[in-house]
Amino acid sequence: MSEITLHELEKQYGETTAVEDVSVEIEDGELLCLLGPSGSGKSTTLRMIAGLETPTGGEISIDGDDVTDDPAYERTTSTVFQDWALFPHKTVRENVEFGLKMRGVPADEREQRAESMLERVQMTGYGEDDPTNLSGGQKQRVALARSLAVNPDVLLLDEPLSNLDKRLREDMQIELREIHEDLDETFVHVTHDQDEAFTLADRIGIMDQGELVQIGDPDEVYENPTNQFIESFLGDTNFVDARVTRTTGDAVYVDTELGTELVLPTDAEPAVDEGTALTLSLRPEILSIDQPSADGGTAADDTGEQLATDGSSRTAVTGTVENVIYRGSTVRYSADVDGTSMFAERTDASTGALSAGDRIRLEWNGADVLAFREDGTRVSL
Amino acid sequence: MSETTSLPQIPTSLASLRESFAGQSSSTRALLLMAPLIAFELLVFVIPFLILLRISFAEPSSDLIYEPGSWSVEAYAAVVDNILAFELLWSVVSYSFLLGVAVTAVTVVLALFYAYAIWRATGLVKTLLLFSVVLPLLTTLVIRTYAFTPLLSPSGTVNDILLSTGLLSESVQFVPSMAGAVIGQVYIVLPYAVLAIYSVLATMDWHVVEAARDLGASRPRSVAEVVVPQAMPGIIVAAVISFAWSVGAYAAPGLLSENITFALHVEELLLGDLRYPTAAALSVIMLLLMLVSVSIMFAVLNRFGGDFDLA
Repeated sequence: MSEITLHELEKQYGETTAVEDVSVEIEDGELLCLLGPSGSGKSTTLRMIAGLETPTGGEISIDGDDVTDDPAYERTTSTVFQDWALFPHKTVRENVEFGLKMRGVPADEREQRAESMLERVQMTGYGEDDPTNLSGGQKQRVALARSLAVNPDVLLLDEPLSNLDKRLREDMQIELREIHEDLDETFVHVTHDQDEAFTLADRIGIMDQGELVQIGDPDEVYENPTNQFIESFLGDTNFVDARVTRTTGDAVYVDTELGTELVLPTDAEPAVDEGTALTLSLRPEILSIDQPSADGGTAADDTGEQLATDGSSRTAVTGTVENVIYRGSTVRYSADVDGTSMFAERTDASTGALSAGDRIRLEWNGADVLAFREDGTRVSL
Repeated sequence: MSETTSLPQIPTSLASLRESFAGQSSSTRALLLMAPLIAFELLVFVIPFLILLRISFAEPSSDLIYEPGSWSVEAYAAVVDNILAFELLWSVVSYSFLLGVAVTAVTVVLALFYAYAIWRATGLVKTLLLFSVVLPLLTTLVIRTYAFTPLLSPSGTVNDILLSTGLLSESVQFVPSMAGAVIGQVYIVLPYAVLAIYSVLATMDWHVVEAARDLGASRPRSVAEVVVPQAMPGIIVAAVISFAWSVGAYAAPGLLSENITFALHVEELLLGDLRYPTAAALSVIMLLLMLVSVSIMFAVLNRFGGDFDLA
């Protein structure tokens, strides 16, 4: 039960800046996921909270106490490492007891606590085992038990699930979530896997090149990314180059490489000038797939845009299916639209399966399209 | 036993040789790989040792060094009597072991610190630390040991520095003394001990130490709880090298102290007194005592996380 405040946190290794100007308030009992690609500074940030790295600038406080210069062993945090870092020469129980031993807890009390922790992570009966003989999933559970045994104010998880296979990882995500709900402690979880972040997090903080670029609720960061990096990192999408041709009070008209003029409805006067180069993001889930009407309807019926009165606009393009990828529960169609490659998905059950070479019609609501400037910043529409 | 019934075919080419090699069971293959080493050990250790053993059981003779073809336990009786009567040989043997224990204790502690420093260092510092371990090995042992005389003598460099800084009020005689012999011998064995421990530390995961600190272990505690137990195989090797070498030390005690170790005494018996059977018997007894001590050392250290079978 603790809140953590990071204020203008910075870490430099020689000339390299690993973490730059990270400020965030982590709330009491929150499960915050720091999400970012490798080298984005998320693990370094976590290690600074743990006290395993000394910041070169800024402050860290836990429950209002400045702990910036406190060593790891004086902090009330506990870390689960990516490679679990179990003590190879100690038994599983000795591993779990270690933190309590360091705190001078009597042996019989330690043993009881260790047993209950092993039970909590479903590792009852493994107390006397050599941790080096355990499977990855079991090691991960023991590492979790070892960290939880000291009853930390903050549990820090440094990609502990990344070495597990997909199925086990998903099970562990659910379990972590349950443990978090039971304990009501503050968790900070670092991951590069956006699915994991969305499964676990109360809030997601996205890091890129040492900076915290956006922090918010999972649906907020997904639906309302502040820049193009976040949009591309949080899931597959179609990026389409475009150029503003004209703006009106309620819409921006853009020329695209798809060969059609698109309309992006806006609520207010848009902050883009004519001629501005934009990148549009069309996520596969906003695209609906059809076969173009076979009776030879005119191109204008099938493609182009209409601005409806309610501010939404239906836009459609046609192309040729290039390949079809079965991904289990979904089928992904990639299509050539006037020389640009686009993809869309539909669930397996959908009727009218298409195959390579077929004509395909993709339709979307212009209001669902996100637009980014050349420097990656989002255009508010 | 199909292996014994089928005669090995004479390989006609390299390919068939490789084939027959690959066909061996892994233990046979290991034995084949070790064959050159076994031959070497036979030649330089086992055969000379058997000759030594034979001489130790020969009858001493006043004019021929020992009586060829004779059998006697006289030399052993004389050595054992002398030791048990706390006479000269007792002091020689006990001093040898005392030197061995002192040097081993100092060396292992120093080597652990030094190896830890190399392990934690990065870049140029690491290279320099490693290089300076190996550097002394580039000079011959006798010169390196002799160099301690001008350094440690009462009018030597170390005394000069200690006197001028006021740490000492009068000069200390480091050489010749046991302290000198220990310093010289530690200097000889330290590189091997450092490398033995470092080679184990280099395979260790630093995250494990971080995990210990994260769970509340202070820096010294994390080393004691996590680093030392994991480094135990290296520490045992370092201890055995230091101990075996120091008990049989010759150069450092010879040059830097006036005490007689068993190696120095054997030399005296061989080259001065020409008492070959006695020298051989003393050597065999020392070898047995060494075997016993090293076995005890393995047994004790194994309790603290070593992983060695008693050979």
